[in-house]
Amino acid sequence: MGRISSNQIIALIMAAFSVAYLIGAYNIPAFPIPRPIDSDLIPKVLGFSMLVLSVILFFQRDKGEERDAAAQDTEETARHRRRVIEVLVTIVAVGVYAAVLRSAGFVLASALLVGGLAWFYGFRRIFWNIGVSIGVPLALYLIMTRGMDIFLPPGILPI
Amino acid sequence: MEAFDSLIYGFGIALQPGNIMYVFIGVLAGTIIGMLPGLGPISALALMIPITFSMDPASGLILMAGVYYGAIFGGSTSSILLNAPGVAGTVATSFDGYPLARQGKAGKALALAAYASFIGGTVSVIGLMLIAPSLASVAVSFGPAEYFALMVLGLTAVVSLSDKSLVKGLMAAVLGVMISIVGLDRQTGTERYTLDMLELVQGIDFLVVALGIFALGEVFAMLLAGDNGSHQRQKIGSLKLSRSEAKEIAGPVTRGSVLGFFVGVLPGAGATIASFLAYGMEKRIARDGDSFGKGNPKGVAAPESANNAACGGSFVPLLTLGVPGSGSTAVLLGALLVMGVTPGPLMLEQRPDVFWGVIASMYVGNIFLLLLNLPLIPLMARILEIPRPLLLSLIVLFCMIGVYGLKFSSFDLYLLLIFGILGLLMKLYGFPSAPLILALILGDLMEENMRRALQISNGDWMTFVNKPISLTLLIIAFLSLFLPMIIKPIRRRFAGKRQQPA
Amino acid sequence: MGIAFRGILKASLLSLLIAAPAAAQADWQPTRPVEYIAPANPGGGWDTLVRSTARVIQEEKLAPVNFAAINIPGGGGAIAWAQIAADRGNPHKLFAASPPLILIPLSGRSRVTHQDFTPIARLITDYSIILVTKDSPFQTVNDLFDAMRDDPTISIGGGSAPGSMDHISIASAASAAGLQPNQINYIAFSGGGEAMVSLLGGHVRAVITGAGESQAQLAGGELRALAVSSPERMAILPDVPTFREQGIDYTFDIWRGIMGTPDMPAEAVAYYQDMYARMMESESWAKTRDQLGWIDAYQNSEDFARFLDEQQAQFRAVLGELGMLQN
Repeated sequence: MGRISSNQIIALIMAAFSVAYLIGAYNIPAFPIPRPIDSDLIPKVLGFSMLVLSVILFFQRDKGEERDAAAQDTEETARHRRRVIEVLVTIVAVGVYAAVLRSAGFVLASALLVGGLAWFYGFRRIFWNIGVSIGVPLALYLIMTRGMDIFLPPGILPI
Repeated sequence: MEAFDSLIYGFGIALQPGNIMYVFIGVLAGTIIGMLPGLGPISALALMIPITFSMDPASGLILMAGVYYGAIFGGSTSSILLNAPGVAGTVATSFDGYPLARQGKAGKALALAAYASFIGGTVSVIGLMLIAPSLASVAVSFGPAEYFALMVLGLTAVVSLSDKSLVKGLMAAVLGVMISIVGLDRQTGTERYTLDMLELVQGIDFLVVALGIFALGEVFAMLLAGDNGSHQRQKIGSLKLSRSEAKEIAGPVTRGSVLGFFVGVLPGAGATIASFLAYGMEKRIARDGDSFGKGNPKGVAAPESANNAACGGSFVPLLTLGVPGSGSTAVLLGALLVMGVTPGPLMLEQRPDVFWGVIASMYVGNIFLLLLNLPLIPLMARILEIPRPLLLSLIVLFCMIGVYGLKFSSFDLYLLLIFGILGLLMKLYGFPSAPLILALILGDLMEENMRRALQISNGDWMTFVNKPISLTLLIIAFLSLFLPMIIKPIRRRFAGKRQQPA
Repeated sequence: MGIAFRGILKASLLSLLIAAPAAAQADWQPTRPVEYIAPANPGGGWDTLVRSTARVIQEEKLAPVNFAAINIPGGGGAIAWAQIAADRGNPHKLFAASPPLILIPLSGRSRVTHQDFTPIARLITDYSIILVTKDSPFQTVNDLFDAMRDDPTISIGGGSAPGSMDHISIASAASAAGLQPNQINYIAFSGGGEAMVSLLGGHVRAVITGAGESQAQLAGGELRALAVSSPERMAILPDVPTFREQGIDYTFDIWRGIMGTPDMPAEAVAYYQDMYARMMESESWAKTRDQLGWIDAYQNSEDFARFLDEQQAQFRAVLGELGMLQN
């Protein structure tokens, strides 16, 4: 006992979020011409609803739904840690992709993303990997820019 | 038999060799565009305006309409196989389509989607032929109060969509509405929750959230579950539907088609809303409603028939009122204007060739789509045979392209990432995502129409009860919320009593 | 199809004869494809303007380079404006503009204003029109305004948010008729079409929208127009009286034009403004314009700049009366 469940942690986080959301709602400027319902009413209703729901969630008895998460906690093996790292690396990769897309260009950035992630996830057929990770973005690039006149950043590639 | 004459007249135009070719090209291009996540029909249609400029208006619209409904037809493929919806109208299809694919029944799910789409499309064409001229009055009868009631009815599905925990489902729904109202408030022009970022002023695009929470969130969840190392191949399964399965989905498909058609006729709704309403309705009335979201064939059949039927229905406001119900039909309207056809009340008298020709061509187009898609299914489903690590990284790429293609903004890619993480967290801690998506679609429309109605009535809330359509919809909403609470325990008790002696 | 195609062919042959010597006279010419920006998604007014003028320019061979249509949606245009404003002096970047370029900065939602850009040419215009249903008791715009004076709850639908075009237009008209602009019960819909459908269904009492957009509904006979904001009656709507005819001194232009990057070189501005002038004399343009129901309203760079400043002053005053001025 004494430990709070993951639901309760979520409830606390969402309660804090609701308060921040409500502060935002109270700062929505009033419309100069009176309206029956102004811009701030629905956000206030939403903020209070979320707050009430968080309180209910906090005091709700766990029905054992959270066993999975708990089980994973105890099974703190290297394998699990490796999987968490995989997720984190994917998140970082997506962020870097968004940051360099314009400068590096669509084909290069996409090829590195696909090839790098596939290799990292354990795809070891190197020729297949290179072929697909260059071929798919290149084909898409040509379809979209040539076939459909949709602009994609060319970046450093001369096409 | 006026409808019959119009039908013959329409087919006379649609079956001209040139127009048959345009239908075929249109639906082929549409299917491909729909299948590729991120290539929506809007930009494809905009690009066709110069091509159609010098064409006969009937042929031009036949071609462009083919792209439009072809894309909705094809959009289900990536929803089912990858959990990455290609167009907004097929997001609801992934709720049950993707679980089916994971259970090794991808072939069945795709075939189901194709048949349901075909029937939905056909029903809407028949509906158009029989009652299109009188449907304009249906569209016109919906004002702000009526739309508000319709959105409330749609939102009651949140309760049935929050399978395990009602509290968590409601929290997800509230969050969905919160996301939907980010941006400029159309009733006052005030910015809400834009955090002073220009990129947020026009709100968050629905597909960014859907691709983030479903597709990217699913990739994260698979990685976390260690579902990537093994090179195990997924089965595609049989394409055939058994007689009992066909019987089982007959009801959902029929209801979905009719519902979808009428929702499509309303200029303020559209295919996406139709698919969600149909899904929510079927889940509630099905005896096995609990298995929705876990790979119930009805959960594919209902939204797929509804979105295609809505697609056909949306031609009513477009052609007879000149009002587009969605981004795609807005581009179609622009194209028609460029071709010198002004849609409106006189369309039926002035350009019957365009009106009846396009409707008849949709009948032909639907047959083409079915014939085109069924043989493609085994081929498409082989996507699942790609080794998992490579497939996952390709899904990540397709999500990014899909989002980038919306506005060409890197900002949206960061948003996608945030929603991907949110999707993973929701999955880990047992929050259902369907209520969030439903509330996201309906939330701001509900608010907007409620405030519009109150602005018209000068703040009098009775406006929602005084109007017969609005009152009816609200009563249905009320009943659908509280009737199950009364009926279910009774039904269960009966079922229990009957089982005990056996 | 045959006739249309022959028309284009004839037009382009004609323009070859006219355009070639004229182009040779200019001392500056674009050397790269022109980035031709619609600050919105495909399908809207800016997008239509960009795509149809790009096509006419290409068909009539008015420029040695391609005009590549690019959509940059977001912020009601503000995202595109911010990007273009940062590209100071680039002579290969143009964009479509209309009253929101003035209104959005005034309501504080854009960091740049129209004065940051180089006006190239005003091309076309449309006018505001007030519509009621055919069996409405209001016969003239004064009937409507008198009724609104007695009963400020009378609902007037429009196709854009408060503080943008349709609202400004009805507010200015009412103000010119002696009403308090902030006492109008303006109902914002997400497009002129949606507003007209609401009027057809009897959900609002009147609608203000663009005259071009309302043509089909007026022809259908279910709706009736009370007044149009043009200085004289419009050729396409000869039966609709102007505000002025009914004793209200009020006109309103829904103009559309082309603007360029900040500090665009004068030679480039001269080149483009002349190119658009020639474009608007072409047969291919005449066809496009008539199909889309546009009205020619060409102004060169200098006149356009003056016009924009006047517009800004006018809008500033109305927004001030409404209490919505932020900047």
